[in-house]
Amino acid sequence: MVIPIPKIEVQDLNVYFEKNHALKNVDINIEEKEITAIIGPSGCGKSTFIRCVNRMNDLVLGCTVKGSVTVDGKDIYGKGVDAVEVRKRIGMVFQRPNPFPKSIFENIAYAPRLHGFVDEEGKHHSYNKQQLKEVVEWSLKRAALWEEVSDRLDKSAYNLSGGQQQRLCIARALAIKPEIILFDEPCSALDPIATAKIEDLLIDLKKDYTVLIVTHNMQQAARVADRTAYFYLGELIEFGETKQIFERPEKDLTEQYITGRMG
Amino acid sequence: MNRNDKQTIIFGLLGACMVIVVLTLIIILGSIIVNGIPMLSWDFLTRSPEIDDTGAQTEGGIWGPLVGTFYLMMLVLGFAIPVGVLGTIFLVEYLGKYSWNRILWIVINNLAGVPSIVYGLLGVALFVGYLEFGLSLIAAGLTLGLMVLPVTMVATREALEAVPQSLRDASIALGATRWQTMRHHTIPYSMSGVLTGIILSMSRAAGETAPILVTGVVASAAIPNSLTDSFQAMPYYIYILVTQTANVDRAYAVAWGAALVLVGLVVGMNLVAIVIRKRYRKKYKW
Ligand SMILES: Nc1ncnc2c1ncn2[C@@H]1O[C@H](COP(=O)(O)OP(=O)(O)OP(=O)(O)O)[C@@H](O)[C@H]1O
Ligand SMILES: [Mg+2]
Repeated sequence: MVIPIPKIEVQDLNVYFEKNHALKNVDINIEEKEITAIIGPSGCGKSTFIRCVNRMNDLVLGCTVKGSVTVDGKDIYGKGVDAVEVRKRIGMVFQRPNPFPKSIFENIAYAPRLHGFVDEEGKHHSYNKQQLKEVVEWSLKRAALWEEVSDRLDKSAYNLSGGQQQRLCIARALAIKPEIILFDEPCSALDPIATAKIEDLLIDLKKDYTVLIVTHNMQQAARVADRTAYFYLGELIEFGETKQIFERPEKDLTEQYITGRMG
Repeated sequence: MNRNDKQTIIFGLLGACMVIVVLTLIIILGSIIVNGIPMLSWDFLTRSPEIDDTGAQTEGGIWGPLVGTFYLMMLVLGFAIPVGVLGTIFLVEYLGKYSWNRILWIVINNLAGVPSIVYGLLGVALFVGYLEFGLSLIAAGLTLGLMVLPVTMVATREALEAVPQSLRDASIALGATRWQTMRHHTIPYSMSGVLTGIILSMSRAAGETAPILVTGVVASAAIPNSLTDSFQAMPYYIYILVTQTANVDRAYAVAWGAALVLVGLVVGMNLVAIVIRKRYRKKYKW
């Protein structure tokens, strides 16, 4: 029997903001092509955790990350690893939709135009106009937004509704052809209908991508996630199959949170 | 006195203040326009000031001062503004999170309020004396540059900080470097504010008298041929006219004419700024 290696392997991860010990000895393995939900009360380090996976915390002054985060067997905090290269392979979607103040097309074309692509022989190319159009269309279709916007790609992204903007941001992240996508409370600014659309999309994306999602909404975690991790005060308290976490939590802290007696 | 009476009194007071404010504006603009317009002519704009029979410099036009002021603005635009804008971009975008940065900005904000003659003094010491430029266009231009540097920097910083952090995050998360993020996003999105700051700085440079008075402006100077020549300038020419003792009526009339042109210049630049800003706002709005 082949034991699959996890897509992301986090070992002994500690994060400090100056003196504030925000993450404590976190060990967790994220499986490929699954949705892993991160839950826990406000300030417990959920965002800090997923921002370690694409090295976004590097930009925070006074933030120190210790331990290792291994993606596909390679430590992204290893010596000589360029954080910019790490981010090119990992997509991220934020709490509030943050499209660039440009057209829908330009929003999605931005990263492909910047990075180009690498062909089968490992050669680097830039996208030509036609290819760029194809990537934009592919990304929008993959993010279930194409039908709604195909006739107004040159219009400002700010004319879209909040939910559409968030799907645009997902499409923008998909356009860099990542294997991992990080979501930090992607629905917290959206209404229930827009939220349902994003949830359907998440489940669909799971076929091709490894998804990490931070959420405050426990029903959402229960609906979409294969596994769920519960953080409390910077520690990973419990991690397991979503069903088990919600139905038979092993730790008292987890149970208290799940049943709403805390947070 | 009941509540309604109080309200009536307060509203009366506010109304009176409003009337004073509006009247002041009308009087300022009205007197410049009414007194200035009779002077305007092609000759007035294209001839340099000349001496009349009484020895007063009230004949001819304002060409010399106009050219001098234009040169000063170009020097400010060429030296101080690029340094101020680019330096601020670096300070805010790369070093903005350090705590000493806050102290630095308190200092810069205060420098923006330092009286202009103090900059004049600094200019005399630094450019005229120490760097041996003498009383010259370059010394005056650089002095004005020093004076507007804090204004430019504060405006640039405000423009950069108006760009939401979430847009920078979006770009970084897509694998753009910090420089690419600045070049493709932060700088273009903040351009309308930066341009407003630039124009504001240039208008201030056009209008100041004190700093150039001590660094190289001369009433009868020829059109400068080089950076080390002395020069005339609009605000200084107005000052000369207003302090003239011979042929006073004519001197005042010319002064109004010159004031109208100077104000027109500044207002014109502000209009350009508004148009540019509108255009950028339309292009990049969030
Ligand atoms: N940029 C930062 N600078 C300093 N401290 C930070 C920063 N970001 C997070 N922290 C601290 O790290 C801890 C964890 O914060 P984090 O944002 O990861 O929590 P969270 O679980 O995502 O909370 P929320 O649910 O409110 O988003 C908090 O104590 C917070 O104050
Ligand atoms: Mg968070």
